[in-house]
Amino acid sequence: MSLPKHAILAMLPSLMLTLAAPAHHSVAVNFDQSGEITIEGVLTEMSWRNPHSHFRIDVAAGDGSQLEWLVEMGAINTMRRAGFEVELFVPGENVSITGWPGWRDRTLYLNSAILQDGTELICAGASCNPER
Amino acid sequence: MYREIILPAVRTRLNFAGAVSRGGVVRPARRFPWLLAGLLTLVSTAASAHGFQELPDLSGNWIRGDFAGLGRSNQPLDRAMLTVEGQRGMDAYDFLTDDPAYECVPASWTRVWSNPNVVVQIDQSDRDVRLRYEWMDIDRRIPLTDPSDADAERVQMDGIPTLGRSMAWYDGDTLVIDTVDYAPGYVSTIADLAGLPQSRTMHTVERIRREGEGLVIEITHLDPTVLRRPFVMAISYAPTDFELLDYGCSPEYARIVAPDD
Repeated sequence: MSLPKHAILAMLPSLMLTLAAPAHHSVAVNFDQSGEITIEGVLTEMSWRNPHSHFRIDVAAGDGSQLEWLVEMGAINTMRRAGFEVELFVPGENVSITGWPGWRDRTLYLNSAILQDGTELICAGASCNPER
Repeated sequence: MYREIILPAVRTRLNFAGAVSRGGVVRPARRFPWLLAGLLTLVSTAASAHGFQELPDLSGNWIRGDFAGLGRSNQPLDRAMLTVEGQRGMDAYDFLTDDPAYECVPASWTRVWSNPNVVVQIDQSDRDVRLRYEWMDIDRRIPLTDPSDADAERVQMDGIPTLGRSMAWYDGDTLVIDTVDYAPGYVSTIADLAGLPQSRTMHTVERIRREGEGLVIEITHLDPTVLRRPFVMAISYAPTDFELLDYGCSPEYARIVAPDD
């Protein structure tokens, strides 16, 4: 898959910064890292904070209703150091998120995202590997 | 650091000798080199007798270094080293509810040191050592003490009993921090060590030293309630140009771990 130049530039600092995971509550403990899932929906809320940033996303259920998912990311301090452009995410826009499903229902740890304009961000939380 | 501690004392003596020399009558350093040598020996002996020593340079900003391929990973836990109570405590740990970080509380010093991607800033003086941890905005200042002193001063972090009471000293090239009087908690809440209990009988010894350009923090855990034998783990840190940032953890947000129903 070819990535837009903007996406590559956005991900480079993240990959350079670190290969370790953020840790507030343990990512390795809270998320199943044996496989990824993808959800698509409308971004309803963003919170750029320590120890974890997060999104809320409304995902269409099979019966036409909307189910809220919580998507976790790294700490905002880490994301700032990585030069991560948080402003690329816009509430109300569609977004596709791929990541590790949480043990809690409807939770996900972000590994990559495709924005409404097609921009792809990989390892957007600036850290996507488990603690060691 | 050696100069900061030893040289002022030496300089005092030299200035005294210099004052005589400035009078133009006597130049003791030239006429009586044995006098200068004797003074230096005296000062050196006195400094040594008072416990002055060359301190390792640990000051600066550091970040957990495993990510940079610099060091070692956490040692795996051999569950056979746990007592029955230790195994029971670890099995009972529920990450959904028990992680103190949901309340912005650090579970232990090992948990603090284990957090990746955050800066630790170390400042040394001849009186104390100050360690500022970005994670949870922990500001730890420990006066240097004589470890042989049974009444040596220990300090605790206000409002964080899970971090015990600590004293510190230097052992050669190593800063040693000895901590007791812990409130029950968890040695770690991360990965394979998640839920390893910390009882009131926990005693930790942190040994911090330079290894190449980086730091190694070796933590020995002695807790007869939980552990059949000492559990040692080492964490490496790399130097960093990143500045220490405010963390500003708020339980209101740290508790958000699931979608609203």
